[in-house]
Amino acid sequence: MRLTKILLLPLLTLAFISCDNNETAKIEAPSTYEFTRNGESSVSFTGQTTRIQMASELTSAMMDFDNTTEELLLEMYRNETAEGGDADPFQNEDLNEATKNIKGKVAASTDYFSSNTQLSAEIKNEFEGWLSAQVQDVFPNENTQAAPGQPGQIADGSSARYVNGKGFEYNQLVGKSLIGALMADQMLNNYLSTAVLDAGTNREDNSNGTLADGANYTDMEHKWDEAYGYLFGNADNPANPAIGEGNGFLNTYLGRVDADEDFAGIGQETFDAFILGRAAIEAGAYDIRDEQAQIIRENISTVIAVRAVYYLQSGKNALDQATPDYGAAFHDLSEAYGFLYSLKFSRVPNSDSPYLGMQEIDEMLAQLEAGQGLWDVEPSTLDEISETIAAQFEFTVSQAAN
Amino acid sequence: MKKLTALLFTVLIVWGCTGNGPSGPDPDDFDREAILVNWADNIIVPAFTHFSETTDQLHTSAQEFASNPTEQNLVKLRTSWENAYLAFQHVSMFEMGEAMQLRFRDNLNIYPSDTSNINENITEGGYNLELPSQNSSQGFPALDYLLNGLGENDAEILASYTTDSNAENYRVYLTDLTERADNLANQVLENWTNGYRDEFVSNSGNGANSSLDMMVNDYIYYYEKHLRAGKVGIPAGVFSGSPLSSHVEAYYSEGLSKALFNEALTASINFFNGTHFDAEVNGQSLDDYLDYLNTMKDGADLTMLINDQFQTAQSRAENLDPDFAAQVETDNSLMLSTYDELQRNVVNMKVDMLQALSINVDYVDADGD
Repeated sequence: MRLTKILLLPLLTLAFISCDNNETAKIEAPSTYEFTRNGESSVSFTGQTTRIQMASELTSAMMDFDNTTEELLLEMYRNETAEGGDADPFQNEDLNEATKNIKGKVAASTDYFSSNTQLSAEIKNEFEGWLSAQVQDVFPNENTQAAPGQPGQIADGSSARYVNGKGFEYNQLVGKSLIGALMADQMLNNYLSTAVLDAGTNREDNSNGTLADGANYTDMEHKWDEAYGYLFGNADNPANPAIGEGNGFLNTYLGRVDADEDFAGIGQETFDAFILGRAAIEAGAYDIRDEQAQIIRENISTVIAVRAVYYLQSGKNALDQATPDYGAAFHDLSEAYGFLYSLKFSRVPNSDSPYLGMQEIDEMLAQLEAGQGLWDVEPSTLDEISETIAAQFEFTVSQAAN
Repeated sequence: MKKLTALLFTVLIVWGCTGNGPSGPDPDDFDREAILVNWADNIIVPAFTHFSETTDQLHTSAQEFASNPTEQNLVKLRTSWENAYLAFQHVSMFEMGEAMQLRFRDNLNIYPSDTSNINENITEGGYNLELPSQNSSQGFPALDYLLNGLGENDAEILASYTTDSNAENYRVYLTDLTERADNLANQVLENWTNGYRDEFVSNSGNGANSSLDMMVNDYIYYYEKHLRAGKVGIPAGVFSGSPLSSHVEAYYSEGLSKALFNEALTASINFFNGTHFDAEVNGQSLDDYLDYLNTMKDGADLTMLINDQFQTAQSRAENLDPDFAAQVETDNSLMLSTYDELQRNVVNMKVDMLQALSINVDYVDADGD
């Protein structure tokens, strides 16, 4: 009986593969993310481009000691005033014109948060706490040497880093955590979710070519594009982006991981999956669409995990020497904190869950913050967290660390 | 997996080349302490001694100028600054022990200097030069700005120290900078002469934390980042695409950049060969260690390859304008070809030499974010 099962498995696999191949062969995927209808582009993700640019201005403003106020940072995060009125906090006028904001899409995916609004609110507010603390705790200590319990500046090579009393850079916490809480969450757990792609009459409309009101796309096409936009929406040429270009958000780190030979090709594979998935939607091949979504979920989750381990290990190496390089370590570990935080929003393919439980991640974050924080974190703790992360993925700590 | 396969192949090939496995001279048998003694007693301590003499003179000249800001005293002060800057090229690579703790090099030679912050310090006062954010507002590059960059000619420069409404602040800032440079020099020297020398010499084993491994790493790091990239590559636009004349060392001076580069290259060559500071005597150093191990590369003697390559770089640089800023603006290709010659020795030392000496590189290129 068992033997039969084992023998059957490869046969089944073969059968599936041949099915896939036939179906895939029918779909003509272009080499770039360009799709048209009636001679005009049917691709649209302006809201995603806008939010990436807002996040970029927000993290820059966090380091503008001379001009930034707490009020300004919160307005940039919400794109409205504390009273809910219209705000113009951005340098880029287009962003002020936009009705979008960052906060509304933080921890806001259908799959993870539609019935989990309490947690969603906690996460949204955690970002506000970091923004406020930057102005309240770090700004007044701009010209103070950082020490355990004392916010201030610390040397990292020839540059100065500005940290809180536990050694964390709030700008890194915000920037790197947004990669998960905003971008990956919206992409993996919202727009690539069947609950969103197939919502309402989306399938029927898509199969019949019924367009969204006043638009040149079907709703399903647009949802897929919006997932794409969180990765490549701020590239110079979003239809044919360079893997790795960008200003410190998801595509930047897709590029970093792709440049590690242990993960070479992950960038192109992700790009290709987006293209094939979009082409599959046009062809009404929803199984192929969903297979591509799983590839993207796995790859984007892997990118976040690899960077978390990479920075944990860099930080450990900086601390674990005769003369610990605290400045370099704090910078690395602040980034690690953000990527670890972002792992809460990862997605195991063909499942409803992140690679590590949110509670488990919170416990690891608490280990980094315990006591004097990064001033007295043990290298062995950093190794343990690294191993815990890697164990959930198909890579080793050493593959991620180089 | 690919890595592992490649490694196995490499091992097999290396094994094949040496014929009978690891039977030649063993790095462990070499007297490393003899090198450490030569470095400490005949190069490092004399170089720091000389450097601290020049910073002492620099501070004295600055005080004289501050109390009597004449053109004659300005010229004298510039000479003292040049001497100290040249002497600095012989100690900059030794960023270990107290120097590492103090972040000696970052406090003395970050360029380009941050002139807007320097001006702010002068007008507002209340600066703390020990803060990392003040690195680029002090040291030799900041002094370069104060002595050469405040005006088109000496009369204009002098006006900042005499008739300007902030003249008093200019004089105070100047002597604060020279005092700090002198203090840093003395602190590092005292550390070497009060115990660190013995610690350095006795830590003569091998392994990542041994003196030799750390010193060789510091040396190659210095050569790669501060000499090759800082003095030549960055101004030539190797990393940015187009030349950056404002990133030349001693930018405001008239043609000191080439002299500083030559001095630094000489110091690097001397260190490799164990040449005593200010004496044409060769002691034990990396060249002897490589010779002991009969290190060959592509059928040639590695010591000879490295020294020949140093000579090539030196002679290529001979034709450069004394002012590197002028060089990159008029004929950058010559600057680039100097860079290429310097780069060849990065490979010889960082790859071939470290492999022969069984030393691991302990630094990686920064992530850049």
